[in-house]
Amino acid sequence: MGKNLPGYFGEFGGRYSPEILTEALEELESTYQKLKKSKKFKKELEYYLKNYVGRPSPLTYAERLTKLWGGARIWLKREDLNHTGAHKINNAIGQALIARFMGKKRIIAETGAGQHGLATATVGAMFGMETVVYMGAVDVERQNLNAKKIEMLGAKILPVTAGEATLKEATSEAMRDWALNVSTTHYIVGSAIGPHPFPTIVRDFQDFIGSEARSEFKKRNKKLPNAIVACVGGGSNSIGMFHAFLKDKQVAIYGAEAGGLGSKPGEHSATLTYGKTGFLHGTKTLIIQDEFGQIVPAHSVSAGLDYPGVGPEHAHLSQTGRVEYRMVTDEQALDSFLEVTRVEGIIPALETAHAFHVARDVAKDLGKKKDLIICLSGRGDKDVTEVLRLLGERK
Amino acid sequence: MSKIKSLFESGSFKSAFIPYFTLGDPNYNDSIEFGKTILDNGADILELGIPFSDPVADGPVIQRAAARSLKNRFSFDEIFRVTKAIHDHKPETPLVYLTYFNPIYHCGITKFLDRAKESGIVGLVIPDLPFDTEESEILFRELKVRDMDLIHLVTPASEKKRIQALTKTSSGFIYYVTSFGVTGERREFSVDLKERIKFLKDTIRLPICAGFGISTPDQANQISQYADGIIIGSAIQRVIEENGSDKTKTIAALADYISKIRAAIP
Repeated sequence: MGKNLPGYFGEFGGRYSPEILTEALEELESTYQKLKKSKKFKKELEYYLKNYVGRPSPLTYAERLTKLWGGARIWLKREDLNHTGAHKINNAIGQALIARFMGKKRIIAETGAGQHGLATATVGAMFGMETVVYMGAVDVERQNLNAKKIEMLGAKILPVTAGEATLKEATSEAMRDWALNVSTTHYIVGSAIGPHPFPTIVRDFQDFIGSEARSEFKKRNKKLPNAIVACVGGGSNSIGMFHAFLKDKQVAIYGAEAGGLGSKPGEHSATLTYGKTGFLHGTKTLIIQDEFGQIVPAHSVSAGLDYPGVGPEHAHLSQTGRVEYRMVTDEQALDSFLEVTRVEGIIPALETAHAFHVARDVAKDLGKKKDLIICLSGRGDKDVTEVLRLLGERK
Repeated sequence: MSKIKSLFESGSFKSAFIPYFTLGDPNYNDSIEFGKTILDNGADILELGIPFSDPVADGPVIQRAAARSLKNRFSFDEIFRVTKAIHDHKPETPLVYLTYFNPIYHCGITKFLDRAKESGIVGLVIPDLPFDTEESEILFRELKVRDMDLIHLVTPASEKKRIQALTKTSSGFIYYVTSFGVTGERREFSVDLKERIKFLKDTIRLPICAGFGISTPDQANQISQYADGIIIGSAIQRVIEENGSDKTKTIAALADYISKIRAAIP
């Protein structure tokens, strides 16, 4: 493991991937260490984040939600305003720059809700790189708008039909592609998961979220917020939001994970609540698995949270108690989706709707004159068709 | 001395034939018959696959085999029962498990190893457990106590320094991955295969067995001229996939395929 990057977070993390990938992971780690110290790289990354992505994203005071919930003041970190509509673009740009530095002309990605696939296809188009996106066949259907956009951007979508045909299978297939094409290809892992050094690299490229929110809030209010909330699937927007606040002990941190339909295996993606320590997709983390160590299919109304594992740093933060992770059911997420849309005029991603549900409870518990920031990880255009279908089923 | 080490030192062959198949495909009882057939027709070492839900190092044929197997009720009791039955048929042939690390970890390393040994297993191949992990070191120590082997994979991408470091926690033989990618039949192998294997033989001082992509008697014959063993998985699994619903037909097809490969290897 690297000398400067953490390979492990407590007992979680590490590199448990097929041997064929080891050299590429070591090359990635040493390149990133070098680039991290390079002023030129930092300048280039900041250039694209400012001029292409639109950073810094604003911190919006949500006046009507504050009033409606009747508790703490609500602030929204607006990652939905980024180009491509979610936080995923931050990491995709960062990793594409690394790939370019390593001389790799082909990039691949896995995607669930399609936002990471869209971000990767976007940077592929912008940097002129051949791009392939693995997406579960089920997700291609339920996130069809993003699938279409990815193709329009010139990337190739390869639908994965194995298993449950969702994010887990897309991730396995992307790893297999990388094993075959490792000398020419960089795998842009989309969440803070995977073998070392991916969890650290992804976190660093998403750290802008929390750092910006922290400094802007402090500048405007001359203090830190009392609490922050973000949703957790693999956990990239949330680790990006949390990381800058971890040392601020006075700031309570909450993660919202997908409670799905219920507590039985196969009904949820609540890894931090029901998961046990294990090894999946190259990392040691909490995983939803059966009594024999076979991975149990996950479920969530949100394709982006539908994953049976979680980033190893989250597993560690859960174990140490620094972050409190709460479950939100599909129905609760749908209710929050509608509420935020109607009250604030912002259509949030279904993933983010989970965070809003937790935030409502936290805001009430905190009470007035306290402040809470929600990471609005992405916009919900991609979810509209699926939400309408689900609302139709409700009737 | 481990059973695998004494087999390679016996001089009974120039190159070993190491077939692989997944237990439980299409069901556990048929696996016993398939294992016996493969042993009877010329396996020097037999690799038994414990199915895993997410086999990232495997290509489509073995992925489908694992998925078919997992449609049966998976349990370690069943895995060990089938293994023991195959072992009892020809106890002198070494059996090794190929599986991913999560099921072993979940079972508990020492419990798994004790039961595997009782069932006739003498070594493990774990494609997602690199040698430079704490878990691999623990496993190596526990295996050594039981006179069992930890067989590591080396690939065309593995650098010299890493290969040298790997020798400390490797035993039995080295599983040399002939080409980039995952398991599955291939027409061509990396151009420097012969040189790489020669380099490994000089560096590691363990038998070097080649796997990933080999399927025809000609390929097996050619590579066996310089490798200490030939590992074949997907091609065997394809025979099972194509005939598995008819046990008698599968057994005949396996016997035919295995004996042809064995005859092609000196």
